[in-house]
Amino acid sequence: MFYRRAGIRHTRYQDERQIWPLPFDRGLVIAVFLLALAAPFFLDRLYLVGYMLPWIIWSTAALGLNFLMGGAGQIHLGYGAVIAIGAYGSVHMVRSGIPFEIAMIGGGLLSASVGIVFGAAALRVKGLYLAMATLAMQYIVDFVIVHFPTISGGTQATIQVPRVSFLGLAVVGDAPTYYVALFVCIVVTLFMLNVKRTSLGRALAAVREKDYAAAIIGVNTFRYKLLAFWVSSFIGGVVGSVLAVCYYRAISPDQFHLELSIQLVAMVIVGGLGSVLGSFFGAALILFAPILLNQAIGFMAGGMGVAISTDLRSHVPLMLYGAMIIGFLLWEPLGLAKIYSNIRNYFLVWPFRHARQ
Amino acid sequence: MTIKRRTFLAGSAAAAIASQFPIRLASAQDNVIRFSMPQDFTRVYTFVTAEYSQGQRDYLTLINERGGINGHRFVADVSDHGNDLPRAIEAYERAKSEGAVLVDPLSTPVARALVPRALEDKINMITAFSGRSDAADGSVFPYVLPLSPNYWTQAGLLIDYFRQVDGDLSGKKICFVHIDTPFGKEPLPILEKLAESQGFELLAFPYTPPGNDQSAIWPQVRRARPDWIMFWGAGVGQTVALTEAIRNGLPMDRLSSSVWLSESDMEVVGAAQAAGVMKVEPCVSGREPRLIQDILAEVVGAGKGAGPEDKVGTSYYNYGVMLASLMVEGVRVAFEKAPDGPVTGEWLNAGLRAITGFDAEGLIPPTTITPEDHQGGGQARIGRWDGEKFVAETDWFSANQDVVWEEIRKYSAEFKETGQ
Repeated sequence: MFYRRAGIRHTRYQDERQIWPLPFDRGLVIAVFLLALAAPFFLDRLYLVGYMLPWIIWSTAALGLNFLMGGAGQIHLGYGAVIAIGAYGSVHMVRSGIPFEIAMIGGGLLSASVGIVFGAAALRVKGLYLAMATLAMQYIVDFVIVHFPTISGGTQATIQVPRVSFLGLAVVGDAPTYYVALFVCIVVTLFMLNVKRTSLGRALAAVREKDYAAAIIGVNTFRYKLLAFWVSSFIGGVVGSVLAVCYYRAISPDQFHLELSIQLVAMVIVGGLGSVLGSFFGAALILFAPILLNQAIGFMAGGMGVAISTDLRSHVPLMLYGAMIIGFLLWEPLGLAKIYSNIRNYFLVWPFRHARQ
Repeated sequence: MTIKRRTFLAGSAAAAIASQFPIRLASAQDNVIRFSMPQDFTRVYTFVTAEYSQGQRDYLTLINERGGINGHRFVADVSDHGNDLPRAIEAYERAKSEGAVLVDPLSTPVARALVPRALEDKINMITAFSGRSDAADGSVFPYVLPLSPNYWTQAGLLIDYFRQVDGDLSGKKICFVHIDTPFGKEPLPILEKLAESQGFELLAFPYTPPGNDQSAIWPQVRRARPDWIMFWGAGVGQTVALTEAIRNGLPMDRLSSSVWLSESDMEVVGAAQAAGVMKVEPCVSGREPRLIQDILAEVVGAGKGAGPEDKVGTSYYNYGVMLASLMVEGVRVAFEKAPDGPVTGEWLNAGLRAITGFDAEGLIPPTTITPEDHQGGGQARIGRWDGEKFVAETDWFSANQDVVWEEIRKYSAEFKETGQ
């Protein structure tokens, strides 16, 4: 009824291979895209700067990690360090006078070249052992940044990001920073949506399912594992530069510690491994659930006169947050994207109950 | 039941638009001065924040109960940012949209990240015992106000106290045990300079963050046979350091911390064993000061206290009262300068930067904030734990400010050059 699938028959291969074969989905995507584009005009400033901007940046980062974890099946616990390399690399480049567009790519390349070194561990170890190797990367990169004042910026360990421009647009104020982040997010999203249909995506899927089997059918696992780390680290580096320039505007080592890596892994898992949409859902849940729960509890404590102590008031949101993540994973282990897809499947044939997928 | 596609779409559009109307509680009333206090109650600072925030809120309640300042009452927006930057930035932006004139994040990472925003938005950011040390230079950081001795000053004060006790530090050995983070390494340049000019030997012992295992470091400290030891950390690292120092038999009366040591730490370590250890005291601790007595009588006694009564008068509680009293004094001076307001960040800034000789009825050293000096003169005293409470070893004093300001100007100049 909503999706109006009846009568849609694809007569050309191009139609069959579209990303969104149903007109309803295409309309929805266009509507979301237009809303995102128009957000600075109708959204309260607080929601633009406090919610939309971090959401699209963290979603882009989650997409980059999802490429590696969901696409190629390699776990990475040091993605925060990858982002840090990109952020520090590009900020230092910008400070030395290189244009932001090039510094962004440069940050990505720097992350990719360091990331691939640690990714090489994936050639020999898997699963938990790979998790340990990438965790080591997190600590080594943290250590290097903190202990080299030329990188971290002296005893204050904070580097200001100079004013930059992106393709002629001065990245100052709320709307321009938002558009730059949105642009990068859209490019990465389009890449992720399409990569599954390429030979690279299929090779990675084969590696993900079983690397021996992939090797037997002729996929060069050596090459594709490294390529997966390279691409994912490159995206991480670019996100790092966006994060530094558009959002933080001053970077210090504690912004990129293990907490960030864990946060991103949580986004990917809660959102749904390998799902593009899931990365956005996961980022939204992990970023905003603590804030909203805190406000809800604060509102109850303040506005509705529920007398609770400050300690309890600040810890109850954490407990609810934990319970929420466990609840989501129990209810739907395949992530938030699967919940969306279940709802969509239901409405595909609504008001009837069953239909072929 | 039939839902037409049109109704469905119209309904969702209406819902989407309706969600855009922000719920603003009764915050837009007149005669309210809004302070935003997003602080870390859950991650790193935990009990420090709980006690600090309790002190702040109790003091603001005291002022509100007395009728406020110039008919204006204070609203303290306390929330938890968990030391997480997206949450802190959201809280900051929310504060800005609600018209807050002051933000107090009490967190070094958050304060550092908020500096560009505060300078741009002209919202006063209080960075007491946190944030950038070079923010003491008010000419470069007009809206960042530490209002308290920074870590460079604290290190300088301790060295000067050691000199006062020993007469001369040349040939002495001073160990600096610190957490291996930018915060822990911060005093090193000052200490190195002082070591050079005063002729003592400086030995630095970094331990890995968060510092819950320091057992490898302290035997080395003991082996070095130091004349004085400074330990520099925060949170759990402090109690672990003190426990290890006791276990290694180091002389407690030659051991000192920065401002981050409190009665609560002593309960963890064992109050009697730790007797003799020293700390930098930016304000009087205990319940004797007049303001604390007033709070006990008028706020806690009236059942309006913000937390447990036994925390009233602890070190961090008094830090909270100290900072809140400085903020309120800033408001009072701002009203003196411009009685009709309007209440904005700029208006408050003029008041905060003109605080003159304010001592909070004996709670803090006479503090003068100027547009150049946001540190307030860098005065404090040394307190010694006697097994039950901190007892003042010295009067308020200030020392080695020439070295400190050299460092402040070096970094603020660098910020000025590259920050814009």
